[in-house]
Amino acid sequence: MRSLYFYLLLLCFMGIAPWASGAHVKPVPHIIFKPTTVYPDPEPYGDFKTLIVPFKKVGNLIVIEAQVDTMYGNFILDTGAPGVVLNKTYFRDAPHIEEQDAAGINGSANGTFKTSIKHLSIFELNYDRLSADVCDLSRIENGRNIKILGLLGTRLFTKFAITVDVNQSVLFIHKLDDKGNIPAAERVFAHADITTPFKFLNNVVYLRGNVGAEKLWFAFDTGAESNLIDYNRNKKLAASMQILGRRKLTGVGGASFEVISGEFEKLNIGGHDFLKNKAVLTDLEKMGSAYGYTVDAMLGYDFYSRGIFTINFVKKQFEMYIYNRDNVQ
Amino acid sequence: MKGLKKHIVLFLLMVGICNNALSQSRNNMSLSHDHLILLIDLKSTRLQVDSILKAAGITNVSADMIFKGEHDNLKKDGWKVKKLQNDLLQFDLSLSALKKNPQPAPFVIFNPQKLKDNRPGYPGDVPFGFNNFARVTVHELASGQTRFFVPGNDRAKRIILSGSFNDWSTGRQQMLKTDSGWISDISLQPGVYAYKFIIDGRWTIDMNNRLFQEDGVGNTNSLYFRYNYTFKLPGYPNAKSVNVAGNFNGYNANQIHLFKTFNGWERNLYLKDGIYNYRFMVDGKWVTEGASGNDPRGTSVSLGETVDFKLDGFTKANKVCIAGTFNNWKPDNIFMQKTATGWAFPYTLAAGNYQYKFIVDGKWMTDPANQRKADMDGETNSFICVKPNHTFTLKGYPKARTIRISGTFNDWAEDGYTLAKNGDNWTISLRLKPGKCLYKFIVDGQWVLDNTNKLWEQNEHNTGNSVVWVEN
Repeated sequence: MRSLYFYLLLLCFMGIAPWASGAHVKPVPHIIFKPTTVYPDPEPYGDFKTLIVPFKKVGNLIVIEAQVDTMYGNFILDTGAPGVVLNKTYFRDAPHIEEQDAAGINGSANGTFKTSIKHLSIFELNYDRLSADVCDLSRIENGRNIKILGLLGTRLFTKFAITVDVNQSVLFIHKLDDKGNIPAAERVFAHADITTPFKFLNNVVYLRGNVGAEKLWFAFDTGAESNLIDYNRNKKLAASMQILGRRKLTGVGGASFEVISGEFEKLNIGGHDFLKNKAVLTDLEKMGSAYGYTVDAMLGYDFYSRGIFTINFVKKQFEMYIYNRDNVQ
Repeated sequence: MKGLKKHIVLFLLMVGICNNALSQSRNNMSLSHDHLILLIDLKSTRLQVDSILKAAGITNVSADMIFKGEHDNLKKDGWKVKKLQNDLLQFDLSLSALKKNPQPAPFVIFNPQKLKDNRPGYPGDVPFGFNNFARVTVHELASGQTRFFVPGNDRAKRIILSGSFNDWSTGRQQMLKTDSGWISDISLQPGVYAYKFIIDGRWTIDMNNRLFQEDGVGNTNSLYFRYNYTFKLPGYPNAKSVNVAGNFNGYNANQIHLFKTFNGWERNLYLKDGIYNYRFMVDGKWVTEGASGNDPRGTSVSLGETVDFKLDGFTKANKVCIAGTFNNWKPDNIFMQKTATGWAFPYTLAAGNYQYKFIVDGKWMTDPANQRKADMDGETNSFICVKPNHTFTLKGYPKARTIRISGTFNDWAEDGYTLAKNGDNWTISLRLKPGKCLYKFIVDGQWVLDNTNKLWEQNEHNTGNSVVWVEN
């Protein structure tokens, strides 16, 4: 057994182990990765076929409750985060496993670090010995006046499929059969209006989409309260948008920055046209840099609130059942 | 001729509407060559121009300034101004600012830093209220707890009680299954609460409760009032209807009906803390006897906490009054009574933070027996908190002269509330709004974090603010 660990360690040092570095995953066009260290977390366990987790909507955020060691409270379901992110206000004294560099999630150099959680549970779903990032999430709390212990990212669900019904405020976590499918009896909707594969790179879900003639890879982010488009990489698309407004915002550290909000007419994902899509134009250069990627555009609440969606992390398949069926063929 | 006039008026009206629509359509924002282009038609209305300026994030320029050709503020912000034909102005701004300080996480863009007051799903203050159940599914137990009941649903796997009383928790309050349904017992203070049941993940209002409320963000919630007062009118066994009305409901005599009991009439309800006058109406006539007395304003009731205001000494004074935020600083309104050693007056106050002063023969003074002070409009007043929901403590600082507390609850006013020394600690109790509170202490002018509270977060000065969450 010990020799197995030795060989695994050796493989890691040689950079051969598949999880050791995102640099070995072939990136999709326009998406740049930097090497990151990702340690595999132990398997989750729990006695359920489909776990039903009600959530509350706070603004356009999906807030579910979880127990992390001795603390119970609110977490944001955030597919833009690779794993668990804990709010520094409440986890400042957690053990420091590794200090992060300056380009942490909050973009500030002061003390973002990696820690280890002994136990995390969401009802009957359990995780032991999870790694987590600890950083300042005070901005979410102050913007929404809700206590947020952290973010729950995609790595928690890689063995499952998750279905989110935004209208009914409920999340389903499905165990999958041997073929990686949700058992027929457990499906929330029988037939999907959209079924499309996605790329899962560095624990981020990328969906291929078209906006007019432009083909884009969108990071799918339930933590984004609107769609986001990188201005510099999408100037043609930006020029075709109906501009609705410009906002000056205060960023981390007090510096102000600007964003432009607008609307583009048609977004095609998985063969389905979504009309009148709201989006924010900004610079996404640093967005998600903590997770080791840069991205052209992100699909947020404006997109995913249009239907019940399922992300099957095993089959790498995205499905959506659209609420407003006027435009469904 | 009359017909011609009518046509002319209609024609002019149409021209006006078309012009207006044309102006509106010519006001426009677009992107071109890395610039934000803003077109403004000077024939537009003030409202139309103000609206597009606001959309463009221009806050320091008004429509009037645009009409007068005052563009200095815009130029200072980097806008270039160009006059096109026919009263059309073009403003353009380089989009280079989009690259400045790009943000690393989406929530930075969507969540403004300022703590918001409004909390959808949390009913605001109401002066009074009572329940209206088709079948009573929420009631008080002898233990003082409140029981919520969901009938039936014997096939459900999990039912959760979620409401404003538990921060709309989606997991903390799991109901217990019984033979007839599901129950959950919780402790509630008098007041109004919004709630829902979550039956196997499905959010539902209480189908047996006729009271519900929209929360302003698309949800409907059931409402429950935890009672704290009973109006009673003895006698009148032959009356057909008895109502009560007071200044809490604008003396509306058709709103609150009393129920017949074995020796009179009564009604339980929630009544917010305060001082009220009320009267009864029996079979359509105001009654002048019994509890209502002969005072046309009716009977008085005081709900809240009785504060014993005391001032030692001044025994030779002729008149001592109290004035404060609770009576809008009216000087000759609350008269203290003389005692053997000074002056005293018991006064009922609702939960809250109050400032006050004594007025001794016309001379205003702070309460010498109360160390806690607060400032208002440059005046230092005595401070009292009724039914505080948080006590702040700062340890040490034995040589400090003045320690104040400042935070989001007083918009970070520097002349905030003064703490009192209690042994090794400095303390102050406050009544705070539920939600997040950021604060700091000011020790003889020096801002410091709370050394008895581990929770703090970084601020824009990199000096941190202490954090406390106040429960509902």
